[in-house]
Amino acid sequence: MAKRIVLDLDLCCGCRSCEAACKAAFKGEARIRHGDLTGEAYLPLACKHCKEPLCLTVCPVDAITKDEATGIVMRSVMICIGCQSCAYACPFGVIDAPLVRHVSQKCDLCNDREDGPRCVAACSSGALKFLSDEEINKHQIGMRMVSKNPFYRRNA
Amino acid sequence: MKKVDPNPTFTTVKKTICPFCSFGCEFGVIFDDFGIRGVEYIKDGSSEGRLCPRGSAAALYLNHPLRLSMPIKNGKILDWTKLGKDLKKIFDKPAKVAVTFDRNLTIEDYRSIISFCKATGVENIASTYFEPEALLREFFGKPFSVDDINKARMVLVVGDPFNQTPMFSKTLIEWKLSNRKNRLVVVDTMKTPTATFASDFLKCRVDTEPLLLLALAQENIEGIDVPGVTGVAASTIADISKGLHKDKDALIFVCLSFAHTYDSMLLVEGLKRLSAHTNKKIIPFVEFPGFEGNQRFGAVLEKIKKKKVKYLVNFGELFPFYYPQFGKTLRGVSIFATAPIKHKDHTVLPIALNLEKQGTILTNRGEQALSGDINPASGARMVNDILDLVKQTKIGDGAVALPEVKVDLAERAKKIVARIKTPKKKKTLRLLGEKIAYSFLGLFGEEKLKINPLDAEALGIKPTDTVSLKSKHGEADFRIRLTTDVDPGIAAIAAETPEVKGLFEYEVADSMVNFVPTSVEIWRKG
Repeated sequence: MAKRIVLDLDLCCGCRSCEAACKAAFKGEARIRHGDLTGEAYLPLACKHCKEPLCLTVCPVDAITKDEATGIVMRSVMICIGCQSCAYACPFGVIDAPLVRHVSQKCDLCNDREDGPRCVAACSSGALKFLSDEEINKHQIGMRMVSKNPFYRRNA
Repeated sequence: MKKVDPNPTFTTVKKTICPFCSFGCEFGVIFDDFGIRGVEYIKDGSSEGRLCPRGSAAALYLNHPLRLSMPIKNGKILDWTKLGKDLKKIFDKPAKVAVTFDRNLTIEDYRSIISFCKATGVENIASTYFEPEALLREFFGKPFSVDDINKARMVLVVGDPFNQTPMFSKTLIEWKLSNRKNRLVVVDTMKTPTATFASDFLKCRVDTEPLLLLALAQENIEGIDVPGVTGVAASTIADISKGLHKDKDALIFVCLSFAHTYDSMLLVEGLKRLSAHTNKKIIPFVEFPGFEGNQRFGAVLEKIKKKKVKYLVNFGELFPFYYPQFGKTLRGVSIFATAPIKHKDHTVLPIALNLEKQGTILTNRGEQALSGDINPASGARMVNDILDLVKQTKIGDGAVALPEVKVDLAERAKKIVARIKTPKKKKTLRLLGEKIAYSFLGLFGEEKLKINPLDAEALGIKPTDTVSLKSKHGEADFRIRLTTDVDPGIAAIAAETPEVKGLFEYEVADSMVNFVPTSVEIWRKG
């Protein structure tokens, strides 16, 4: 069953372990980004592996494909021409296109690793989880923060 | 078609302990004949496979393109045999030599150094680990267990462990969220990631943490209005102090940053008194516990100035390269220093680092053994091998003691108040150092300088600008991040690279080198 990386906003402490794990594994180019919500919460941003990915739709050379069995949206290094179309199309802004190598960085959920993505394994506060759709529905992720304040403030 | 195995079998994974901080996480090292290739996250390990940025980046650090593999003297390659002869010559005059060590030594390394000094007659032994956290070594006692925290109803955290020791965050956040009555109190001068989770955030003015801790310990210093000086209400101080007393399982965690106070020794004294007053143990979180010599480095500096010491041999990885402000004072001495990467100045010796080492390290879980049989393929040598070039000694008990310093609370507290009252020059900010695991030794690029939007407006700085920063010791350019996490008048940055550390001023008191909040001029670049 397809699994995704899910963030529990209540737990993230902004240590960027996820980004470091990704950088260390992929020759210094992280595929997970990092932001923060007005200084009140931290927001690692990974590829959502959308059901209908826009990056796949816009890619002029079909470098991006979706594996229906695992749900992983993959990018081929060999085919990618670094046109950055996917980076512009991504509604979450999680695809990075470094100018040096002219190849877009795209998360593939560490499919070379049996135990799932490295960012999830490394997450120091346990905020990142690797869950299937069913498991996601069982969790109420970030509910403590939302229920405290409609503006997602951790300190009510 | 047969699928190609992305992890060919010639690599081996071996369990070891992360030597990058005192938390003692367990993880796997992937290595082959050519050295360490990466790390693996072991789910059934003590840290459930989780790792902070330092641990994840361990292989990047060891396989850095500038990694030193041979000794070099002023940039030119030197043979190990020639180096051995040079070292032997200088140790023939032990009275003129100072042996120092900074962080990241194993217990065996330290004992070897002390035994070696005793055997060769070197009398000047000092630590060059200048971070205030090195003073917390004395709080390492009974190993800390995660179960301890679940019994507590109140936890006091001094500093920012979520940035420095992120592996601690899961335990503390889960504890806080598990019960509404659990109270997390954070003491700091700026809003840090740890502070965003706090039930009570005691935000005090720069350099007033020692006074706040003494007030929590009910130490009254005559003539000092603590609430007025620290900015924390008297009722809050009384409430927290009462809470610490009331909860018999309450815990005090401490994690000190770089250059946050003018008097680290007073801060540690405040912690000691708070511990004694509330009968609670202090649990330190540090990058490295560090070791002590028979004197503080300030005493060695004095001897260098008086030309009593002519040779300085340092074991570690930072000194003197990360502290350019010592340059003038050290001009008259010949320096032999171990370092992980190439440096143009002095004689530099390649040293085995963290995962390549053998031996035991001190952590919050007690003494833990490193893996032991991952030999460095980088050409670097162990501390013992370097010492053997001069003289072979057996590892002894390695005990030396520092002369005791009596801390006069009233005098030191009054100095802090006097500094706060001194009017600040216009257009200067006070620079504070942060310790951020992600910025460890600048592995992942530059950090941004945090300043308050009000200061930025007054100085005509826009959010996208690059600024220049000038202190007494140097000048550097930074990109900025405008945030209300820091108060007006303060600039904060991760102090992990020589460019940043080199900006800070240091003061020597009771022979202890202390890096202090530093006045800096700041202006928009270009």
